[in-house]
Amino acid sequence: MYTTQLLDVVTTAGVLYIVAVGLLVVYGVLKIINLAHGAFLAMGAYAGVLATWAGWNPWTALLLAAVMGVAVAALVEWRVLRALYARPLDTILATWGLNIIVVQILTLYFGREIHFAESAIAHPISVAGVTYSQYRLVLLLIAVALGVLVWLVMQRTQIGVVTQAVIMNEELAQALGINTRLVRFVTFCLGAGLASLAGALLTPLVSVHPNLGVPWLINAFMLVLVAGVSLGSLALAALLLGGAQVLVSSYGNPVLGSLTIVILAVIILRFRTITI
Amino acid sequence: VAVALMLGLGTPSGGAAQSADKQPIVIAVPVGLSGVNSVVAPAVVQSAELAVEELNAKGGIMGRPVKLIPLDDESGPAGAAKAFNTAIRQHKADAIITMETSAARNAGAPIAERAKTLFIYTSFYEGRACGKYLFVNAWVPEQIVSPLVKFMTDEKKVKKWFVLGSDYAFGRGLIEPAKKTIKDLGGTILGEEYQPLQQSDWTAIISKIRAANPDGIMYATSGGGPNIDFMKQFKAAGLKMPVGSLSIDELTAEQGGNAAEGVYYTGDYFTGIDNAENRTFLEAMKKKFGANLKTPNSLSEPQYDGIHAYAMAVEKAKSTDADKVAAVLPTIVFKGPRGPVQMNKQHHAPLPVYLAQVQADGKTKIIKSFGLVGPGNQCPNLK
Repeated sequence: MYTTQLLDVVTTAGVLYIVAVGLLVVYGVLKIINLAHGAFLAMGAYAGVLATWAGWNPWTALLLAAVMGVAVAALVEWRVLRALYARPLDTILATWGLNIIVVQILTLYFGREIHFAESAIAHPISVAGVTYSQYRLVLLLIAVALGVLVWLVMQRTQIGVVTQAVIMNEELAQALGINTRLVRFVTFCLGAGLASLAGALLTPLVSVHPNLGVPWLINAFMLVLVAGVSLGSLALAALLLGGAQVLVSSYGNPVLGSLTIVILAVIILRFRTITI
Repeated sequence: VAVALMLGLGTPSGGAAQSADKQPIVIAVPVGLSGVNSVVAPAVVQSAELAVEELNAKGGIMGRPVKLIPLDDESGPAGAAKAFNTAIRQHKADAIITMETSAARNAGAPIAERAKTLFIYTSFYEGRACGKYLFVNAWVPEQIVSPLVKFMTDEKKVKKWFVLGSDYAFGRGLIEPAKKTIKDLGGTILGEEYQPLQQSDWTAIISKIRAANPDGIMYATSGGGPNIDFMKQFKAAGLKMPVGSLSIDELTAEQGGNAAEGVYYTGDYFTGIDNAENRTFLEAMKKKFGANLKTPNSLSEPQYDGIHAYAMAVEKAKSTDADKVAAVLPTIVFKGPRGPVQMNKQHHAPLPVYLAQVQADGKTKIIKSFGLVGPGNQCPNLK
């Protein structure tokens, strides 16, 4: 029982981390909440459907999802968002609008009904005497790998250092000759690509439909609000809030459990000293 | 507009004398063309279109042509109120025959009742909707829950159960009678859990199932996707006990690929029902709609039966007057794709119920027929 619950907690944290990391990256650099995050999740999930239709290996869906996410994000950043950075409130409207447009396009093309995407791993595995979903464990590994990868990029590469400079003080970075416009462009594309990747990673767990992203967007939003701009804090927040959700659902009931993330987020925000 | 209005006013809502003129009989179909029902609504409209085409090919009802008016009820109460008023006031509908959400029906039914307009509701639902002019030709929980529980108890030897559902009226409304039947058959319930509608991660409930280790599962999520979400995660977790579903349907099972393989469920309509009426119906649908055909299903097929039953009732009453039609409707037996359907039990219908199982390719296979199953006491104040 305890082994199962421990696995539930860490894998739930892993799923939340994967879903939220793209939102955090965009928020960290651009200081905007990408409300189209849910639409990018859905788009990634449909990449899984397309891969299934084409008869490709399920893992190729991940690549397809990332490419689709980056392509759409590049177009939107270039033609729309770029003009709105001076008006942060309008970016909320613009990204929400983008969310509606993408979801409607998906609906027009695929319809409202659910679709099936082949799972790469559908079999359980035995861990420490309990049979457990192998795919959830793989997701946990992917979450850790994504975290390490994004961290390495930030710490060890030129673009990462430049990005950190923009995060800390954009005007100063600009004065030092850093092309902040390029940094913003690359970051938005990266964030959207990560969101679509997350969508493709979700398909073995959930059925694919146009509004698939909505509930995940809300949880990701809460996590990012709590975590701020740090990847480490995001991991901690995912573990804390996701863990609380699992435990409340297990010992209480899932209806209370679903409220846990929101309630904890409000409490944490209320008592946290302001750092941003 | 003025001419249309005068024509409308000049037509009292019935009277055998009308049969001489060629004034069309108007059947309104307020259905969820937008909103949650928009997945199934096109199939409902297609069923209605086929029925009306067949009637008109035979010369209409009492020699009068039949006119179909599909309207959008937006899958909810506000839209339904608008659509029912439009149907009755603007289109002077002789009858409203439709599949709707319960919320939409609850808003629309009183409007039809006050306007003395016959209303045949063709969607399965939680039961106990009653009205002088309201008839139902689809299943209520009594008809599909007990046969499924009984089958799993007897044939699958399920004694210790775990029941779960989505946390809303329909999910809880189906789990309640399931629990009652389980207890009546001497089974025990090891756990009962409800998941919020927007939550698609079933991890916590699946771990509870694992800890409880029941002989079998009975679940009722909301329609469509959540069935597949739950089954995918249930299987990935390595759980293997038999599963009965009160919320899956043929289309969802098929769209879910192999996710729902093995799931047992009961229903009154499946495309695989092997009788002449169903074969003719499916062929006619394919011929009429070709590539645009929406697969007929248990939410759309009763629409076809409903319109035919109404036509037979009007012919028998020799009038479209709602009181006269309502008086003869319980005596009408329409032998359609589901089998013979007669709305003679307090405005509800005993229905042929089948047990089916989802196969490895997502297709549904009918395993056995329970024959006609009665709806129980739905409206004790009606005959």
